[in-house]
Amino acid sequence: MNTLLPILAVFLLGNLLVALLRVARGPTPADRLLAALLFGTTGVAILLLLAFATASAALLDAALVFALLAAISGAAFAQRAWREEQAEAAHDDD
Amino acid sequence: MTTTEIASFILLLTGAVFFFAGTVGLLRFPDVYTRLHALAKADNLGLGFIMLGLLLQAPSPATALKLVLIWLLALAASATVGFLIARRARQNGIVPWQSGDRR
Amino acid sequence: MKLSVAAVRAFLWRSALLAALWWALTDGRADSWGVGSVSILAAVSLSLRLLPPVPTTVSRIGLLRFAVFFFVQSLRGGIQVAWLALRPRFSLRPAIHEIPLRLPEGIGRVLLANTLSLLPGTLSVGLEGRRLCLHVLDAAAPTEVEVRRAETRVAHMLGLKLEET
Repeated sequence: MNTLLPILAVFLLGNLLVALLRVARGPTPADRLLAALLFGTTGVAILLLLAFATASAALLDAALVFALLAAISGAAFAQRAWREEQAEAAHDDD
Repeated sequence: MTTTEIASFILLLTGAVFFFAGTVGLLRFPDVYTRLHALAKADNLGLGFIMLGLLLQAPSPATALKLVLIWLLALAASATVGFLIARRARQNGIVPWQSGDRR
Repeated sequence: MKLSVAAVRAFLWRSALLAALWWALTDGRADSWGVGSVSILAAVSLSLRLLPPVPTTVSRIGLLRFAVFFFVQSLRGGIQVAWLALRPRFSLRPAIHEIPLRLPEGIGRVLLANTLSLLPGTLSVGLEGRRLCLHVLDAAAPTEVEVRRAETRVAHMLGLKLEET
């Protein structure tokens, strides 16, 4: 019924592709890590658009799992980094 | 087209514009920090608008809540991961680009 | 665990939240509530064990005000960075600012550092003790004022006291 959704999904896929090529070029490892952000936002958006375009609830769940994994890994890394920083701060006080 | 459809249409297009701007920023900006600004802010707003546009087409309130949930998770993920990448870049001694530097 | 008012309240709140979550996940299917109620009960008891109820200091008005502030500011931030990316003339003047936080040690500082990356012009690049390191897109922008505003909102939401720097 809605032709806009698949068109937008393809547009975002093109965006993601260009962005990934740029990210792969680096030049620093930190630049390449940006791919994690790209999949968390653009990837989720593409899945959402496709879920509505094809009226398939399964893709919506896939998007949810994507976002959930991104958030959990983010939180886990953040907690580790925070502990490291606390340890460093305690070390500095000695 | 109904008003809801038009509103949904506009929101979805706005979202796509922000994703496009994020990608352009990624290509044009000179270093990893400025690129992070572009991705973290523009892409999240893009996802927010796409989410709102789809919200208007949601077949049930439960699906609408699921959409909001996905968006909140993606926001939390971007905020934490963005901070960690920037922090790691700085720890590894990547010097931020200055406005006098060549791109 | 001693059964206290706080524990009962936490139990009811968490059950309600998880029930809403289950409802969303199953698209409101009525025949899923058999499995759902067992799962919710299991999840609530696990959550009470892993995260015992503490006297809540999160203010609901503070949460709402923070949410509104966050959405308005992230909209501003997105528009600003989109404009910087799309305008033909390239005009970035990045700088690193160090700002001493007034928030006490703990979750408040981390939350502030994380949210600042989505607010206009700022990106957190380090948090060592109370020193927050920010990368800003415009060296001349009033960064400290914005950070102080965000800091006040976070403190209000979490019921934290700001310390003098």
